Amino acid sequence: MIKYSEKKALIIEDFAEFARAIGTMLRNMGITYTDTVTSGEAAIQACRENKYDIILSDYNLGPKKDGQQVLEELVTFNLIKPNCSFIMITAEKTAAMVMGALEFQPDSYLTKPFNSQLLKSRLDKSIHKKQSLNSIKIKMAQKKWAEAYAKCDDVIEKTPKYRSACMQLKFDCLQKSKQFKKALELVEDIINDRATPWALRGIGSIYYEMDDFEKSEKIFSQMILEFPMALEGYDWLAKIQHRLDKPVEAQKTLQKAVERSPKLLNRQKYLGTLAEQNNDFETMTKAYRQAVKYGQNSAFSGADEYVKLTKSIGITLKSNTNEERSKLITEAESLFQQIEQKFKQDSCTQFRGAVAHADFSSIVKDKKSTDKYLQNANVIFDKIEEHLGADESIEIASSLKTLGLSELAECVLEEAVEQYFDNPEFIKLASKLTSNKHLIENANKANKLNNQAVKLFKQKEFSGAIEFFIKAAEIAPNNVNIGLNHAQALLKQYQSGKKQPQLLYQTETILSDITRLPLTDHRYSRYSELMRLNQLMLQKIE
Amino acid sequence: MQDKKDESFNMVLASTVHDMKNSLGMLGESLKVIFQQIDPDIMNKATSNSYGVVQYEVSRVNNSLMQLLALYKLENNQLPFNPNYYNLFDFLDEQRLIHSPLLKAKNIECKLKVDEDLEGFFDDGLLATVLENIIGNAIRYTQSTICISCSQSQPLQIKIADDGPGYPEQMIELAGNYIQGINQSSGSTGLGLFFAQKIAIMHKHKDKVGKIQLSNGGQLGGGIFCIQLP
Repeated sequence: MIKYSEKKALIIEDFAEFARAIGTMLRNMGITYTDTVTSGEAAIQACRENKYDIILSDYNLGPKKDGQQVLEELVTFNLIKPNCSFIMITAEKTAAMVMGALEFQPDSYLTKPFNSQLLKSRLDKSIHKKQSLNSIKIKMAQKKWAEAYAKCDDVIEKTPKYRSACMQLKFDCLQKSKQFKKALELVEDIINDRATPWALRGIGSIYYEMDDFEKSEKIFSQMILEFPMALEGYDWLAKIQHRLDKPVEAQKTLQKAVERSPKLLNRQKYLGTLAEQNNDFETMTKAYRQAVKYGQNSAFSGADEYVKLTKSIGITLKSNTNEERSKLITEAESLFQQIEQKFKQDSCTQFRGAVAHADFSSIVKDKKSTDKYLQNANVIFDKIEEHLGADESIEIASSLKTLGLSELAECVLEEAVEQYFDNPEFIKLASKLTSNKHLIENANKANKLNNQAVKLFKQKEFSGAIEFFIKAAEIAPNNVNIGLNHAQALLKQYQSGKKQPQLLYQTETILSDITRLPLTDHRYSRYSELMRLNQLMLQKIE
Repeated sequence: MQDKKDESFNMVLASTVHDMKNSLGMLGESLKVIFQQIDPDIMNKATSNSYGVVQYEVSRVNNSLMQLLALYKLENNQLPFNPNYYNLFDFLDEQRLIHSPLLKAKNIECKLKVDEDLEGFFDDGLLATVLENIIGNAIRYTQSTICISCSQSQPLQIKIADDGPGYPEQMIELAGNYIQGINQSSGSTGLGLFFAQKIAIMHKHKDKVGKIQLSNGGQLGGGIFCIQLP
């Protein structure tokens, strides 16, 4: 029996009458705490203030965020409890289902109209399932794969009807703990009986992890043929075809997914990247235009799709005397304005935006604006507080070169090379752009020293590793990777040797010199973990 | 260009259907509120019957709309087919619950004979639309009892039986050719069977294809609808 009187529920519904009807149904079930909001934005706010056990959301919430976007934000920003039941209310199940990414699926879909008996039955089942699988999910969250795997068998025995769900979790445990052979055996058994989308995805993703891209490509080609509505199949296939150096095929594959579901931001952006590589600027423009459109109400939209859209509009204007010329110019100018407003606080984006704006102005032969935005770029460059990304640096430097600002371009490249010398794709592009011969030479030198140091570190030769990190840091003093590696080696040396306090003070200096790492950088967690360890050890000696 | 036209018509159709479904939902909810305001002492059998009729007709129109939209999409190769494994007891129990207010109002018993752990592989949204119509018709024609049963999962066989007068002979003889059964007098049964047939053959496994079968008799003595999915 589920005690509904103890549950807190949230109703997200823009039709007041429906919201009221659902509220009545919930109260008749015994739920006393019910909040109702009429928009996605209000729902996010409500979840910041309250932790709900049950959320019922309409998929279609009017012009702003839809139910799927609400769910994605709540999960990503950790605003709902793991055992909260999220039920999506739709007019048509399949139509809504294809709109969301696989990792953000609601617990259940409820098709309108529905009565209170059906709602209660759905809630009973969803809550019961969550409770039954909870012990597995806890172990998985702790990354205790073997224990989670064992729990799956317990649950299957106790509640055979969750067998399918448990098999998927078992597979996840095997894949996460890199037991590829066992994972393959598990899904192949299932597929011998009948191919299902998740089992095919399972096999394909294992082959991918094993670097067997040909086999993986075959599996996902089969998957999109047999299950054309399981859209993650196209995403996987495109990624693999791209890896296999078939960007034209990858683009065609991804276009099929976009036709069926245009709303996924990352899918549109990936399509834009592929189209750019294939010199298909019509598709590129369309993809980034959709990314900007569907990102409008999303918490995950960034400056990238805005800048890329102005780029593709610029290229379009260059290549023909388009009859829609003035319309396209207006569109681009409006995008630049949005970049300035939406990302005001982000100096890297402002710099990138100013350079892109100057580039665009020069394409439409507006000399005055070109000069103005280049001047802006010069001013912003000195204020940049964080590191520019590798791709952005290439984009900016190449624009600056074209616009005749070689000096600033070299500055941008110099800083980027120092950061990304271990990224071969980047180095290839940078060496084409730079006129400074020493730049790439130094990058290769730093890369070699860093690699040697890492090798020694792995052999637990910490003092040897430290020597090489010092040499690498002399060439690239601002490189974050070297800094973090160096700090880690110093701490290891301290722990394994005579606990010389000197080592901890050196670590502190190195870490405090890393000042330009944005919170969003994937290395940030490693940086803060090293900071924490260092502080801990320092406290012990003081 | 033809594709573009289809695409936009598809959207117009879908959004009109959704709009009509919303209206129907509001209609149903508002009527419920009105009926709840009637003093139980003056609520007589006729009023309560009328309420049952309204509920039934609302769900019938809703179901027909869903079938029409799906059939249109099917003709244009745009009907999403997304099969998966589902627990049959839970699934069929829900199909019964969808009709529970009407079953109660008409005092009809609806039995469910399914093994609790049985799993089947099918598109749940499409099969639900099929069964909603078939069960709805069974409610219309039965005397007192309906039985939803499922005894095996390979091939999956779901039966809806009732104790009414049974399917007319000429309808049973149509076997597989249900489009001819759609006429003014057959009403939603005709469309429902045609739709069921279409959805059944979308379900394929190895060299086998799904099908439907009509018969009369059995334990309850009325009509028996059977959908078989490989």
